[in-house]
Amino acid sequence: MQKESRGTIMKVVPFWGCMMPLKYPQMELALRNTLPLLGIELVDIDGFTCCPDPIYFKARDKMKWLVTAARNLAVAEETDHMLITMCSGCVSTLKEAQFLLNEDLALKDEVNKRLKKVNREYKGKVIIKHAVEMIRDDLGLEAVKKSIKKSLEGITVAIHYGCHILKPSQIMHVDDADYPNILEDFITAMGAIPLDHHEKVLCCGKGCMDEELPLEMTEAIFASIEKSGADCMGLICPTCFSSFDLGQIMISRKKGKNYNIPVIYLFQLLGLAQGLTVEQVGLHTHRIKADKVLEKING
Amino acid sequence: MAKDKIVVNYRFRDKLNKVSGGKHHNYCYQCSACVAICPAARFEKEFNPRKILLKTLLGMEEELLGKDSPIWLCTNCYSCYERCPQDVRPIEVIVALKNMAVEKGTAPANLAKLSDNIAKTGMSVTVSSAVNRKREQLGLPVLKTIPIDELNAILEDEEVTSSDETVDK
Repeated sequence: MQKESRGTIMKVVPFWGCMMPLKYPQMELALRNTLPLLGIELVDIDGFTCCPDPIYFKARDKMKWLVTAARNLAVAEETDHMLITMCSGCVSTLKEAQFLLNEDLALKDEVNKRLKKVNREYKGKVIIKHAVEMIRDDLGLEAVKKSIKKSLEGITVAIHYGCHILKPSQIMHVDDADYPNILEDFITAMGAIPLDHHEKVLCCGKGCMDEELPLEMTEAIFASIEKSGADCMGLICPTCFSSFDLGQIMISRKKGKNYNIPVIYLFQLLGLAQGLTVEQVGLHTHRIKADKVLEKING
Repeated sequence: MAKDKIVVNYRFRDKLNKVSGGKHHNYCYQCSACVAICPAARFEKEFNPRKILLKTLLGMEEELLGKDSPIWLCTNCYSCYERCPQDVRPIEVIVALKNMAVEKGTAPANLAKLSDNIAKTGMSVTVSSAVNRKREQLGLPVLKTIPIDELNAILEDEEVTSSDETVDK
């Protein structure tokens, strides 16, 4: 019975945000090519803007941040599908906005008064999930296993969680913030080996408005991953990605240390396991080349 | 045994209470759980969320909203929110302070640069011909039109809401 239900197509509305389609379109490519192989149909709809970004835009004016997010949620509510996000920044903004609006009905009224100007209303019924969360909870990791065509046996992946998929857990409801498993289980389902390392849940530092501090934080993470001996780093946040892919070049320039750790978005890794090519998952666009891992996979 | 008199600036605290997320500063009992988990505090001694909260409790407006305020070193990781036993949501208090600094005109200049795009174009990253070319090369669909008029309409400043009353004019 369960197998039958997993055989049907599941329709979800993707919220792409800005970072993926505009800065790292290879991630969008990986998602568009891997999710259908799991039986997920992406129903693209009109009307979204930036989520908006949970750091700078929110720091400027939280009310405007909330109204913009509520408008996006109202747009999504016009369909009956689940709203899925693939970016940790978007999932943070959209889930927190929903939490605040459901927590404070006076605030919700105030926000809806603004939305009324454009004939929209946030009702509160939309279900928001991160893509990995949706795969774990609504599809089942069995579907991931069943889609695998190529063995990733022996490939070790040092996980970087990033902050916003987990914290605050009161709002995100994804996993334990200190001892999470969701990404480990996802990677295991692909057939690779998730590697624990000391700084697995340390922030990448990108949201800090200082120049030095983020570099020190990313360097601590690189050192931790290097010590783990992993073949690559696996992550799910585009903002973290910029800290680590371009970030390694910055660290090489500023501190003279070359780590050379390939940074792979987990849906790119899934694509490789599903038998997709490097080009089909956009891995060729990364600054730190993944040649060694690819050799090991193809070897 | 005379000690310096501590004067609490309640006027500032009242203002903070009215900004979204600001009210929770009242719950802080200075336990330092936030400091223990804070990555910015780990790498930068200048930054200490407990001290920021103490300054809010004392109403030290100048230190919190001045040009050299430490609030801008926060990495926005939400660890303090996760850990706080008092539901202070320290990061949200810091965001409230940032909103107040913006009103006051003391926020760092690059904050505007980092967030202007959204109100102007509806996206945080600029849509350029280079972006469109890159998408085309990867075989991705054409980007959807951003409903910027709708966004402008809901972001208009005309109405003053309770959350916006952070500065007495």
